[in-house]
Amino acid sequence: MITVDKLRKEFKKTVKEPGLKGSVKSLFRPKSEKVVAVRDISFEVAEGEILGFIGPNGAGKSTVIKMLTGILTPTSGSCTINGKNPTQNRKSYVKEIGVVFGQRTQLWWDLPLRETYGVLKEIYEVPDDRYKKRMAFLNEVLELDDFIASPVRTLSLGQRMRADIAASLLHSPKVLFLDEPTIGLDVVVKDNIRKAIEHINRQEKTTVILTTHDLADIEQLSKRIVMIDKGTNVFDGTIASLKAKYGQIRELSFETASPNAAEALGYDRHFSLGKDDLSVETEGNSVKVRFNSSVVPVSDMLSYTLEKINVSDISVKDADIEEIIRRLYGQGVE
Amino acid sequence: MKRKLKIYLPFVNAGIQEVATYRINWIFFMLGNALACFVSYFIWSAVYESGGGGSMSGFTMPQMVVYIVLMFLTGTVIASDAAYVVGEEIRDGTIAMRLIKPVSYNATFLFQELGNKLPTEIAIAAPMIIAVEIIRTVLSGEVQFSALSLVLYLFSCVLAYLINFYFNICFGFIAFVIKYLWGANMMKNAVIGFLSGTVIPLSFLPGALEKVFLFLPFSSLNYTPVMIYMGKYSGARLWYYIGLQAFWALFFFVLSKLLWKASVKRLTVQGG
Repeated sequence: MITVDKLRKEFKKTVKEPGLKGSVKSLFRPKSEKVVAVRDISFEVAEGEILGFIGPNGAGKSTVIKMLTGILTPTSGSCTINGKNPTQNRKSYVKEIGVVFGQRTQLWWDLPLRETYGVLKEIYEVPDDRYKKRMAFLNEVLELDDFIASPVRTLSLGQRMRADIAASLLHSPKVLFLDEPTIGLDVVVKDNIRKAIEHINRQEKTTVILTTHDLADIEQLSKRIVMIDKGTNVFDGTIASLKAKYGQIRELSFETASPNAAEALGYDRHFSLGKDDLSVETEGNSVKVRFNSSVVPVSDMLSYTLEKINVSDISVKDADIEEIIRRLYGQGVE
Repeated sequence: MKRKLKIYLPFVNAGIQEVATYRINWIFFMLGNALACFVSYFIWSAVYESGGGGSMSGFTMPQMVVYIVLMFLTGTVIASDAAYVVGEEIRDGTIAMRLIKPVSYNATFLFQELGNKLPTEIAIAAPMIIAVEIIRTVLSGEVQFSALSLVLYLFSCVLAYLINFYFNICFGFIAFVIKYLWGANMMKNAVIGFLSGTVIPLSFLPGALEKVFLFLPFSSLNYTPVMIYMGKYSGARLWYYIGLQAFWALFFFVLSKLLWKASVKRLTVQGG
């Protein structure tokens, strides 16, 4: 369905030396340097799949999405979606895709929402009966009824996002690109939007590419993730395999009455653990210890702790995906 | 053709609604223009008084008054914000949202702007033309209205608007290179004000310069329609100037397409 092959994007960026002198200098003789935003990324997405596309800020996620949607032209490499190249024959290509950029709106700012959909109906050449059915369906999934008569500029962020998603789905696209569709939304709205995406994916076999910083989006929606950092592909696989590969982190948490328990225990000295493999958090009486279970077995950790101090309410937890990602983002992936 | 109209007509509607939302802005804008028109009138009456009140470069004082009012009317009718709008969209990256729709970038602007302008045209064109006719009749003492001139004038205005729009689109694409267009836009407006005869009639210029200016696309903007309305062009000359207008409209239309093809490849969406 989607094939991305060694996709690369370079930008020219003007660099300014610091201070007033630098500003004046760059006014007359601007220096520019090449920035590689996306460095030869390759991956594939099957039909009907929801792919979670993640990475820290500035990793190049949005740039990849913009190339896939035909907004930016790749410096080299290629992407094929549905057998089409986005930069060739843009008009016919974008008819088959839906795009939502969470940070921008594709709706007409001053038009009532209902009329915006009317405009989109004409642009995408949706026949009247299909349009009616589609609107009823989107209404049901995204609950647009409350604000469909209001001008777009008066909508709240949550309403606007739902309206934007509906706009991207009006023409029943085969591929849906969602660039941070839950940014800045409250839990309830987030949940509604996830459900809507899931529903549409299941019912229409829409292929979805989703970028987000909210890993709950990913856990709930997609089985597979592609993670990029500094423009390169650092992980491609299922969430389960991500956990298996990087998920030896366990979280031990307990309550204790002894003061300065963490220091008294001195895990780092006792097990000689480095910073990467251990972190200790103390808050009042509760202590949270995250450690690498491939270096120190869970049983050793537990018995040592119980031996040293009096604890109540002790538990060991699998690391959640968020913890894994935090580690990956923090240290970079080798 | 009908299909296309169906796609782009909603943009006209969107444009009209925009104006409706920001009415007060529009009123202030029109007031500002009218003030400039008055300033122009007082300057010229001072010039004519000190010159003894006769004819200057083919313009008598009453004709000058008509010229000023017509320039104001024409300027408003053919005005295009395209350079500014395109420049802003490139600057803040909104251009991306137009690119993900299966429509022609330039055409969406054209129709949206037509929607923006339609209320203006209707609100000012008819009253202004009546006002011009009254002024002309009172000042010269005889009825000079010619329906043919009016029709030709309107036709010439349509061509002038198309030149202006596509020229502005081309100009707006400079933002792909220089990122922010405000300064360039100010300069452009000042230069065009002079070259298009808005500031002084081109016939006031030295012969050689006038010839050059008359061939440049900018005289096709305001000067040609006004001269047609005032009946200064006739016969072969009339058709020559209308032909020249058509040529420039086509020229900038093609140029805008070429520039778009060339520049969209270097698009870097700014901000997110």
